[in-house]
Amino acid sequence: MLWHIVKRELFEQASSLRFAIAMLLTVFLMIVNALGHIDEYKTQQAEYGQKVAESLRELEQKSSNLYNLVLRGPGELHKMPSSLSFCAHGSENNLPSFISGRYSGWNWGGRSGLWRLKYDAFPPITATDIFPIFLKIDWTLIISSVLSFLSLIFTFDAISGEVEHGTLRLTLSNSVARRTVLTGKFLSSLISLGVVLLSGVLINLLLLHLSGTLQLNAQEWSRITGIFVVGMMYISVFIALGLFVSTLTNNASTSLVILLLTWVIWVILVPSMVGTIMSGINLPSIDHGPSPVFFARNGLLERYKERGLDEAPTRTRPPTPATLLWAEFMDEEAQEWKRLNKEFLNAQIYQIQVARDFNRISPTAILQYTIESFAGTGFQRYLNFMKNAENYETDFNAFLISADRADPDSLHVPFVREGMSDKPVSFESIPKFQDRLRLEDAFKEAILDVMLLFLFFVVLFAGAHVSFQRKEI
Amino acid sequence: MIWTLIQREILTNLMTFRFFVTVIACMSLVIAGTVVLTDNYERRLASYNADFQTHQERTFIAKTYSSFRAEIDRAPNPLSLFNQGLDKRAKNSIRIRIGKVPFLWDNVYQHQSTGFNNPFRHLLADIDLVSIFQILLSLLALVFAYDAIAGDRENGTLRLILANPVGRGIVILGKYVGAIVCLTLPFLISFLFALLLQLQSSAIQYTVDDFLRIGGILLTTIVYISTFYLIGLFISSMVHHTATSLIVSMFIWVTLTLLYPNVSLFLVNRLIDTEEKIEQVNREIEQVSERYYRDEQKLRDPFESPSLLKGSIGSGGSRGYLHLSKNLTYIPNESERNIPAVKAYFQDLTSLHIRAAETIWRIRKNAFAETYIRKSRIARNALRFSPAGLYHLSTEAWAGTDIARMEHFFETGRQYRQRVLDYFHDKKAFSSRQWFASDKGAVRWDDAPRFTYHPPDVFEDASSRALPDLFLLSLLNLVLFITTFMIFSRQEV
Repeated sequence: MLWHIVKRELFEQASSLRFAIAMLLTVFLMIVNALGHIDEYKTQQAEYGQKVAESLRELEQKSSNLYNLVLRGPGELHKMPSSLSFCAHGSENNLPSFISGRYSGWNWGGRSGLWRLKYDAFPPITATDIFPIFLKIDWTLIISSVLSFLSLIFTFDAISGEVEHGTLRLTLSNSVARRTVLTGKFLSSLISLGVVLLSGVLINLLLLHLSGTLQLNAQEWSRITGIFVVGMMYISVFIALGLFVSTLTNNASTSLVILLLTWVIWVILVPSMVGTIMSGINLPSIDHGPSPVFFARNGLLERYKERGLDEAPTRTRPPTPATLLWAEFMDEEAQEWKRLNKEFLNAQIYQIQVARDFNRISPTAILQYTIESFAGTGFQRYLNFMKNAENYETDFNAFLISADRADPDSLHVPFVREGMSDKPVSFESIPKFQDRLRLEDAFKEAILDVMLLFLFFVVLFAGAHVSFQRKEI
Repeated sequence: MIWTLIQREILTNLMTFRFFVTVIACMSLVIAGTVVLTDNYERRLASYNADFQTHQERTFIAKTYSSFRAEIDRAPNPLSLFNQGLDKRAKNSIRIRIGKVPFLWDNVYQHQSTGFNNPFRHLLADIDLVSIFQILLSLLALVFAYDAIAGDRENGTLRLILANPVGRGIVILGKYVGAIVCLTLPFLISFLFALLLQLQSSAIQYTVDDFLRIGGILLTTIVYISTFYLIGLFISSMVHHTATSLIVSMFIWVTLTLLYPNVSLFLVNRLIDTEEKIEQVNREIEQVSERYYRDEQKLRDPFESPSLLKGSIGSGGSRGYLHLSKNLTYIPNESERNIPAVKAYFQDLTSLHIRAAETIWRIRKNAFAETYIRKSRIARNALRFSPAGLYHLSTEAWAGTDIARMEHFFETGRQYRQRVLDYFHDKKAFSSRQWFASDKGAVRWDDAPRFTYHPPDVFEDASSRALPDLFLLSLLNLVLFITTFMIFSRQEV
């Protein structure tokens, strides 16, 4: 019986005006998206390769002396561009594309500290910014606003329209359960919108493939499948919403008016307002005052000076107390700097995360974050990149110590010039930074959001069932 | 008769569910938006004030003419609450240097007065009042209009009305006026609330000029609402069923407010390439700088061996395109006889420098006009095909947050630099000892020109940019109204 209803509904929808418009709109936008992204990935990839090569060349020059590496670090660590940025642009133009591992920035009595990671490479605002602000036409936008809108257009009169025409009575006079009718309507809308989305996606991928922009491997296929599945779940949420509101009213127009206002607020306005409000109200502290790092370093220096830091380290063997004290100071300073910097950075990140959490009251934000995770762009991706860089920092420092160990002439007192080797290092043995996109990360990040989307769906669909069961027809 | 019709329309509209929703939606969104935007503005203002203070302290402390430096600031515009435009993104302070003409093209450094210390905040979307109106009010206007004619026709009430001795034009006019009153009412109330909330903040003080601008925004918004109402009315007169009318209206709404503006900007941004031109300009600039360096080499540097000013003490370097400032605090007596030669050197160097700076500026100005300005102009023209785009552009001009205003600020900065240079000429500063040395007393800046920024007044902005767009929008209204009337008057009921 269920399939009978689904089939009937599908035939009706496939021949309707809205299906035609939906198809046209989606396919058109997907073509625009493909046109806009032709060769984009290639350029990004070439740029990335160039920058990585440059940074490796610099590293090679630095490797003429081990201590040079201690002071100046590995140089710029670049973020690998994502091949799926046409799915979600992820505001990448507002995020740093590299983290630099460079000179500590302090100099006291001709001495400097261990190299460190600096996260401040935010792209400057440039002349290109006089261009009006617009939303980039990516899959996220197409699914989140256009397909959700279409879902509402497909379902607003599913129940209320049939009540108006009296056809619902006719259907229910057969021996068919109400829940079957509702489920049938749900499935048929899901299938037709699925067809719309799928055709759009396929045309988009085909165009990108034909233009030579895209060569997908297995991993990317699974990412795209993930995006498609999440997109379908998001569409189900809106179909359920449409059915729910449609059961509440007896007039198709009223139900569409309610749905559209809900849509404008939930899809367009909430994601751009709620998070911003909450993050502003919640955490004013980090927006004021200078970074604490500078002050802390001065305090540390004073403390060590009292313990006799004025005496210079020497190369005498065994290491003098002054050499050891310097080693202790350099180590603590590096640790302390890292800790404070991390704290500050975490506070900044936390502010954004609070905003994102509040935005999750809108499924649109959830969809956006999930697609970004799958596409490997956006904020979460940047955090992963940061983690990669931090792991590399540990590796690099471990390498510095082990390279020092290998030199018999060295005192093995790490990070003091006099205590370390100043021999050349073989460039091949230095660990190189390799940014990676891991599929598990994407799934791990997405799982909670997917569950949240499912929760939205369950609540709305259950609401639709309950209100339909109680409805007088 | 028309009054009866208008009254009827207003009464039936006021009683509806959608009117209630309109009021609630407008009020809650506008108030929530205003609270955030006001807070945001207060932060920006505080950060501007702090910057302004430090810049004031640093200006006119130079001991010599050559180390003159000033930094001028543009206060954040309170009307950016309505339409933020470029107010937040464009550079808000300019360094005035002798050897550099200030220009919009220069990068904004990390230090930027957004009032937020967290660079990740750029990831969060901002929304201003105009964008709320743009989306919400257009939707509501269509929701009010979709059944205006089609609904009456379906119910049969249209026949009833037309059975009375009343012209069809009057019927349409009655519907239009009634609906506009009902739509404007919630908008006006929420607008007033927003304004009151803004005035509560001590940071926001509006002048008469600002109120005129706000009036302009108000007027444009009403015309915008009317445009969308007329679009709805047009569709409603064309189709026979309310349901079809609603669906068609909604597709048109999504296209005009959401899809068209974003798609057109996306394509313009992607398809118009500026890089080649920029590279060419960079090469040209390179050549000018090289020529400057060559010319500089020809002059005899008094600090190179054998040094003319042997034994002098001071700071600052003279070499290189960017550095000109020099401050000698002690010149030994035996070098005193070389002072005229040094003066001549600096005079020549400075004039070379200024000339190079101006040449570079001219190149950049032309290139900028041909690339970024052109691209943004094409984008803005593309936007004009949608009423939402017209509304955005017109309110941007009313608020004074558009690119013309940013240009104006830089133009004032350039004029100020010119005034400083003229002042130097009057003082014969270029050939003076105080150009490079403060050993015989530091420069006194008492009568030096000071900078104040006066934004252009509302009439200037309105006549050149806001009113043309408003006019286009009104014209669209007129065309829609006449077409609807023609269709309606020829129709069988």
